[in-house]
Amino acid sequence: MPNLRELSSRIRSIESTSRVTKALQMIAAAKMKKAQDKVLEGRAYSEKLNSIIANVYESNPEVFLTDSESLSEKSLILLVTPDRGLCGALVSNILKEASKFIESMKADNYEIRVIGKKGTSFVSKLNNEYESFKVSDMPTFEEVSPITGNISNDINSNGFSKVFILYTEFISTAVQKPKIKQLLPIELDINDSERSNNEFLYEPNLDKVSKALIPRYVETSIFNSILDSVASEHSARLVAMQNATDNANELKEDLTLDLNKARQQQVTSEILDIIGGALALEE
Amino acid sequence: MSKNIGKVVQVIGTVVDVEFPQENLPEIYNALELKVNGEKLVLEVEQHVGNNWARCLALGATEGVSRGIEVKDTGAAVSVPVGEASLGRIFNVLGDALDDLGDVNAKERWPIHRPAPTFEQQKGSTEVLETGIKVFDLITPFSKGGKVGAYGGAGVGKTVIITELIRNIAQEHSGVSVFAGVGERSREGNDLWHEMKDYGVLDSTALVFGQMNEPPGTRARIALTGLTMAEYFREVGKQDVLLFVDNVYRYTLAGMEVSALLGRMPSAVGYQPTLATEMGDLQERITSTVDGSITSFQAVYVPADDYTDPGIVTTFGHLDASISLERSLAAQALFPAVDPLASNSRIMEPGIVGEEHYNVARQVQEVLQRFKDLQDVIAILGIEELSEEDREVVFRARKIQRFLTQPFHVGEVFTGIPGKYVKVEDTIKGFKEILSGQHDDLPEQAFYMIGTIDEAVEKAKTLKG
Repeated sequence: MPNLRELSSRIRSIESTSRVTKALQMIAAAKMKKAQDKVLEGRAYSEKLNSIIANVYESNPEVFLTDSESLSEKSLILLVTPDRGLCGALVSNILKEASKFIESMKADNYEIRVIGKKGTSFVSKLNNEYESFKVSDMPTFEEVSPITGNISNDINSNGFSKVFILYTEFISTAVQKPKIKQLLPIELDINDSERSNNEFLYEPNLDKVSKALIPRYVETSIFNSILDSVASEHSARLVAMQNATDNANELKEDLTLDLNKARQQQVTSEILDIIGGALALEE
Repeated sequence: MSKNIGKVVQVIGTVVDVEFPQENLPEIYNALELKVNGEKLVLEVEQHVGNNWARCLALGATEGVSRGIEVKDTGAAVSVPVGEASLGRIFNVLGDALDDLGDVNAKERWPIHRPAPTFEQQKGSTEVLETGIKVFDLITPFSKGGKVGAYGGAGVGKTVIITELIRNIAQEHSGVSVFAGVGERSREGNDLWHEMKDYGVLDSTALVFGQMNEPPGTRARIALTGLTMAEYFREVGKQDVLLFVDNVYRYTLAGMEVSALLGRMPSAVGYQPTLATEMGDLQERITSTVDGSITSFQAVYVPADDYTDPGIVTTFGHLDASISLERSLAAQALFPAVDPLASNSRIMEPGIVGEEHYNVARQVQEVLQRFKDLQDVIAILGIEELSEEDREVVFRARKIQRFLTQPFHVGEVFTGIPGKYVKVEDTIKGFKEILSGQHDDLPEQAFYMIGTIDEAVEKAKTLKG
């Protein structure tokens, strides 16, 4: 017979856990809607930008090469993670992907920039140079632009030959995938249909346009990946907390059943003891 | 003394009241004999209830006993044959042979009620006894001359463990063994006899059986019969004796069945009010003295898996090592289903088992305890929410749980996996390696039902295909 007090204290602790998960679930639901809208809105702009970049690239791939004299061997890895846990497998998935990717790089051949606390604590264990940034859980462009500008300047001044962004791509409320995106040199995966066959005239010239375009492209991509990550985080948290609340309730039901059984058993055995004692005395 | 004859005056089930002539009341625990339908029935005096009545416990069926039947006082307690003659034989509670091997020509017979050794005679021991079973050697090391109890609810594997211990220890052990079957399946006696014959240990073993087909009087006394035989080897033979008792709880239960009939008011949960005394009478005699030692292994049935049951609690204090069998582990097919967190041994000290053994065992318990603490979190939030360190603990704990299983020799016919005997050093080495993370890359399944850790590495290779 399980201990009554032990059971009821377990039920209490599960109850309070389920209250917390329920609250987190509702918060996540409210934030998720906004974050998802933002991602979808942002996508239209970045798609257009991508197609312009594609056109420029078509006409002259060479303009995308950074000045070769300042180009270093090093790569830059930008890791975008949430600040908090309790969002299912999201954090561990992105960190798993990150550690796999970082392992594949040659040592000392990369620098890391990281956004979010989870990623910061992860890279701090790697013994590698890193710089971390923090964004709120409903980031706006104004808020993020100093960070993206900072990173973009960083790329220019350090002359990283390759730049990667690791973030969680938002696909739907139920599906989010960790993704490694190569930012520079530009890798475009635009379908032929999206490509316009028009010849463009560049004003004042191609070089100047691309010089202005690339930082903008970098910054937008970083901003988009942050939006994706945030939307993914809230979606994952909603689902995770919903499951957690369900699990907690189920556990609570099972334990309550055990508790009732145990209590009933105790009552029965006490009655039996009393009856037995009374009968023995009657003799 | 002239023949002391009394008459039956009352029969209540298994309790018989006998009236004797004034001043001739037989002493407590004296054996009385009567004839019923041509068969001998032995009664044991339990109480003097006044009016020259002796209240007696029947050590046999009381069907056919009627008022007025003559009862003869034998003037002494029930005595059983002891010594060399008892080896290789099977006895009932009265010391009569149950096998077809003829009469027992014992030089001596000892009464089954004897005083426990005094404090001066008792001797502690701290010598570790290797069992070859990983979980016991690691978590609950047995001491030579100590008492070990295997606790468990119905069908979690108590009898299998006792039989495996007989196989592993009695076979290695050069001295004599005594097996007492108390209130368990009568089929088991037959199985055990054949098994012991196969292992070649029958010639140095005395078996006594008072199984569940017997009346409560028999079941309440059969443990004493076996114990008396063991005591003779200890005191006269000055030998080290192994005593196996399956199942001590049935002794308590038999006492409970007759308690109310003897006129005692039931105590908590219906147990006899003399619960602790009865258990003490038996357990205090199972001890090691300056002459020789009795190492005992007792199976203890836990009714309804309730470890707080008074019948169970009274046995705990008497034992040097207790093994708790857990239904939830048996349900996961983790055999032997020993709960490493609830089991303990008195000699689990660095001074006795060694620093390394102690540390490994404690670390194993720590990891398993942490795993247990995390289980609610895993159930609610999922394993993904755990930190990297906690996840490592969980994976190692699951490997440890599996490595604590072991194929038994006695289970070979059921599982088809040959039994394994693992030396203590190999056991410690294995757990140490798992704790240090040396085998983090192997799949959990590789640790299931194997002997040494090297087998896990081998098994992992075959699992990978």
